[in-house]
Amino acid sequence: MSGAHQHIGRPVPPRHHDRLVRGHGRFLADLRAAGVLYATLVRSPLAHARIVGFDASAARSDPRCALVLGPDDLAERTAPIPTAWRLPGQPEDRIPIAAHTARYAGQPLGIVVADTPTAAEDLAEAVRLDLDPLPPAATLADALAEHAPPIVPGAAGNEAGSIRLGSPEEDVAAAFARAELVVEREFTLPRVNPSPLEPRGVLAEYDPGTGLLTVHAGSQSPHSMRQDLCAVLGMRADRVRVIAPDIGGSFGSKVVLYPDEAMVCAAAVALGAAVRWVESRAENFDGAYQGRGQRTTARLAVGHEGRFLAFDAHILADLGAYATQAGSGPHQVTALTLQGPYHVDAAAATVTGVYTTRVPTGAYRGYGMQEAAFIRERLIEEAARELDVPALELRLRNLIRPEELPHTTHTGLTYDSGDYGAALRRAATLAERPPPSDPPWVRRGTAVVAAVEITAFAPSALLETFGIAWSGWEGVRLRINHDGTVTAYSGVIAVGQGIETSLAQIAAEGLGVPLDWVRVELGDTDTAPHSDLSAQASRALTLAGGALLIAARRLADRMRTLAAGFLGTDPDRVTQRIGSRADPSSPDAAFHGTDGARITWREVAHRGYRGWGNRKDTDRIRLEEAVDFDPPQITFAHGAHAAEVTVDVGTGRVTVTGYWAVHDSGVLVNPLIAHGQIAGGIAQGLGQALSEEARADAEGVPVTRSFREYAVPAAQDVPEDLVIEHTCTPSTAIPGGFKGLGEGGTLLPPAAVTCAVAAAVPEIAHTLTSLPLTPSRVRAALRAAGITAEGGLR
Amino acid sequence: MTAVAFDYTAPTTVDEALRTLHSPGLTVTPLAGGQSLLPLLTRREVRPDLVVDLNGIPGLAGIEVSPHRVRIGAMTRLRDLEQHAELATALPVLASAAASVAHPHIRGRSTLGGSLCHAAPAAELPAVAVALGADVVLRSVRGARSVPAARFATGAGATVRAPDEVLTEVVFPRADGLAYEFSELGTRGSTGYPVVGVCLGLHVADGLVRAARVVVAGCGPVPVRLPGVEAELADRPVAGPHRGLVASVAAEVARGPGPEDQEYRTEAAGVLLLRALTARAAREGR
Amino acid sequence: MSVRTVTVRVNGVVRTEDAWDHTTLAEHLRTGLRLTGTHVGCGTGDCGACVVLLDGEPVCSCLVLAVQADGREISTVEGVAGGGDLTRAQRALIEEHGLQCGFCTPGLVVRMAHAAGRGGSEADVLAGHLCRCTGYDGIRAALRKLSGGSGGDR
Repeated sequence: MSGAHQHIGRPVPPRHHDRLVRGHGRFLADLRAAGVLYATLVRSPLAHARIVGFDASAARSDPRCALVLGPDDLAERTAPIPTAWRLPGQPEDRIPIAAHTARYAGQPLGIVVADTPTAAEDLAEAVRLDLDPLPPAATLADALAEHAPPIVPGAAGNEAGSIRLGSPEEDVAAAFARAELVVEREFTLPRVNPSPLEPRGVLAEYDPGTGLLTVHAGSQSPHSMRQDLCAVLGMRADRVRVIAPDIGGSFGSKVVLYPDEAMVCAAAVALGAAVRWVESRAENFDGAYQGRGQRTTARLAVGHEGRFLAFDAHILADLGAYATQAGSGPHQVTALTLQGPYHVDAAAATVTGVYTTRVPTGAYRGYGMQEAAFIRERLIEEAARELDVPALELRLRNLIRPEELPHTTHTGLTYDSGDYGAALRRAATLAERPPPSDPPWVRRGTAVVAAVEITAFAPSALLETFGIAWSGWEGVRLRINHDGTVTAYSGVIAVGQGIETSLAQIAAEGLGVPLDWVRVELGDTDTAPHSDLSAQASRALTLAGGALLIAARRLADRMRTLAAGFLGTDPDRVTQRIGSRADPSSPDAAFHGTDGARITWREVAHRGYRGWGNRKDTDRIRLEEAVDFDPPQITFAHGAHAAEVTVDVGTGRVTVTGYWAVHDSGVLVNPLIAHGQIAGGIAQGLGQALSEEARADAEGVPVTRSFREYAVPAAQDVPEDLVIEHTCTPSTAIPGGFKGLGEGGTLLPPAAVTCAVAAAVPEIAHTLTSLPLTPSRVRAALRAAGITAEGGLR
Repeated sequence: MTAVAFDYTAPTTVDEALRTLHSPGLTVTPLAGGQSLLPLLTRREVRPDLVVDLNGIPGLAGIEVSPHRVRIGAMTRLRDLEQHAELATALPVLASAAASVAHPHIRGRSTLGGSLCHAAPAAELPAVAVALGADVVLRSVRGARSVPAARFATGAGATVRAPDEVLTEVVFPRADGLAYEFSELGTRGSTGYPVVGVCLGLHVADGLVRAARVVVAGCGPVPVRLPGVEAELADRPVAGPHRGLVASVAAEVARGPGPEDQEYRTEAAGVLLLRALTARAAREGR
Repeated sequence: MSVRTVTVRVNGVVRTEDAWDHTTLAEHLRTGLRLTGTHVGCGTGDCGACVVLLDGEPVCSCLVLAVQADGREISTVEGVAGGGDLTRAQRALIEEHGLQCGFCTPGLVVRMAHAAGRGGSEADVLAGHLCRCTGYDGIRAALRKLSGGSGGDR
């Protein structure tokens, strides 16, 4: 039984769930390691300071101490981390492990290793830091001020460089010259903490006998971690192995090697021992790279009959103290995707990277696209308000229509397929409901917004064009074992998204075998095919899945050819019939000839491994296929979200009372997983809309250091009226028609919620340009608009 | 994320606890429910030499309702305040305020005495204790003393309790003729930390406010009673109009030091008060 | 600073191990008793990943000292199904995709086991539990399934 879509499209519960609900997960801190030592980082308490002294003598003389590495020790033992995506003119292209100037509070300056976690913490406190304070520049405004303290050598005015993407200047100028209306606003998207429930962690073990360094790490990209570790430690790639165990969420915050992680590995090498570091929640708030951090001036030109003419933006990107491996990447993606699903005559944006004395910013779910959607959809909503036209009508009038695809944007992105209007109209319809009667102090409003999503950031040549020193392709190996069971290897990894289940479904589909014959093995650089980007950028399912489908079809073909030989007939006269509950050796799992002869799946595999039977190629005996897939182009998912909110004008509290999302990610491999990805993404987006902001004091020292000060959404913050639907326009670039969906849910909630607040209280609409919409911020806007706190009460 | 090492002792009588707490030269910390203390320990924000666990002392927990007062042992869990049938009749505001603290896992451990001693500026139970005119009983090897709740907290996280004193019980007067209720605004997130709280006590007759008690929390380092606002409400129809009330709350609160978002908090406190009055008027009208 | 012997009955088995006075119950379960199903997500009582039953009542095990559990009964996620069949709540979480990374799941499983048969609203069961992956949608679907409604509209 090999018909199409036996497995693809089925809402199978992910296979990793069973062991996790039993408490049998294997997260970093759970791994057993004989004789393991414990590490604590010595971190800078100041946002900006010269390190005059790092006196570890007291710590070193303590019998519990195994090792202390300070800045000088690290300078001897490590090289800086190379970066991959830089701005033109960027003055630093590497990130030092050994720092002699602290540029942010929480920056790791050294590492202490001891026999217990408590001892390691005690001894880290015993290190005497002599710091010569330098003035901080904790915000974009501070860093760009006239007499701002210089943060990075060679970065005049603390600027890291600029890039302009999109239409030529004359096209932008011409479009704005034709405008009947120009809407211009300044938008602030604050820094946020990705906040996976499991913080970061590393277990590094160095065996001096073999010279092998084995690193278990909650890494979203083990291969790139290995490459960076090789550069930092001066080690050969064949001597470094990185393994990702179960990972308790990531969301972009675990994609690159961090200096503190490198220090743990350097300590393990120095000691010839196993060293574990498990990040605390406070450390995660201080030291894990943050997302967003952008101040953008943007404008929209609208012409006759509400036609959009042009988008233009200047993005000030808060890079923090160092430009990370991907540096301004997220902000460049904001510039690339500002145009969204709309027709315009011109679209362009400038990204200026700015150094500040805060922890670096980096990848976080949505990767610049959420910011683009917020800016664009707010501008459109404001244009509709100023034109006194329904915003939905204005959007529909300007959307790119399905028959106009493929369509190349002004930043050179070619949308492959989609029906943007269908999603927008459907979301609007879902959100229609009669308003309930509210108390006098409650205002209620609804809005619907739209976005296009880059998924599967590839091909590699595109990254080369952008000057990004990473590849975009993805490889898989698929093996039918001698007993007929199947093992798939991929360089993408599981972070809870259920990718091992989706990939198993694709392999089983392509082979025409039951799902439970297939095991998917991920996360070990010794066995997994190379992958630079791995499980980020909404690419794992599309690229690894596309490759796997190709591999499975090839293997299925080889099995049929082998079977035909054993049955003494032609391959095209062989039928593969496998019962859904059959095991590989049962008569229900067999190839059938035309004369009633049959041979079981297992027997074909078994004989195949003996080298018996007919083979097309004499040098291909193992039933194993390796496929590298570099797609012709990015494939674009899209979606539309509607939000209904209430605004308590007395307290300023915004409550999301209903949320409707319509997504198109092409062919869904597992609708249950797809639903979960969108729902989870929406919740994170709601957090950014309403409560999440990584704040620091005037000295640049973080003040949001626990879930007390930093409210990630709890159940009561996510509406029970959460409806998710999918439409399906298959990808034309990916085998199977798949598109990505890991980030899609996150893109639109800030835009949808803010536009709904604007609809509820039009008096403050023009001020709704900064997130999050905290009660005090909303109340301040209401107060400024003359809306009293009594809210109609006497 | 591990505490600085300390010693632990679990006395079984109050006297034994008092003797242990009286250890000059040592930093000694009593441990009640631990729901605020444990994070301070593991984040190394407090570093005691010795932790004295009060959980094993019989008699420190319990609710005793009598005609004129309610005595509540310091180690009484918030869950017990929530679920105690007699208390729900005698002082329902205590039950409802306790129920609005944090989440069930916390309330199962957290204690009344611990909450008062932790003295978080916006916390629910200290505000209610001030509004109800409770007395806080402290004991040490030197003897016992009773402190009005309004004078117990001296700042954010600070109280008049001496390091060797144990808060043993809180005594709430009954039957001052006022009906109390507590309302608050909290942060988002699982624990929902309080931002601003208002405890309002009212005696209403013929639709008129005959007596009022107003305490706000979260607008300054300690909960404060607002006698000016109370006087403004007196003899006014409970249904209003309460013109200028929000501004009056802000004006009276703003006399003291406050957090950076003081303007928002004081206005929100006024809004909570206004809504509590409106709700009360609606009930009166039925 | 001292070490003492802590005896607990955990998941029905009496276990005696040493613990430092300053060790939390969560760390003792994980390190001393090698029951690593209980996870520490925040250490401040906000996330609920470390919830266990102490004498039958849910507590954040990061907010209790190991010595305070001496002589008492503890149930952790590993004991909810034992080595055998999953409970209805566990099955519902699987079927409704009520977890993704699974790091917060142990506390929730313990909480749901405690709530089973006691009633309690959905909001009450979810109070004190943070999940960063699911948006609570799959968890709510699981709770609806348990309370006799359908598993949701998916």
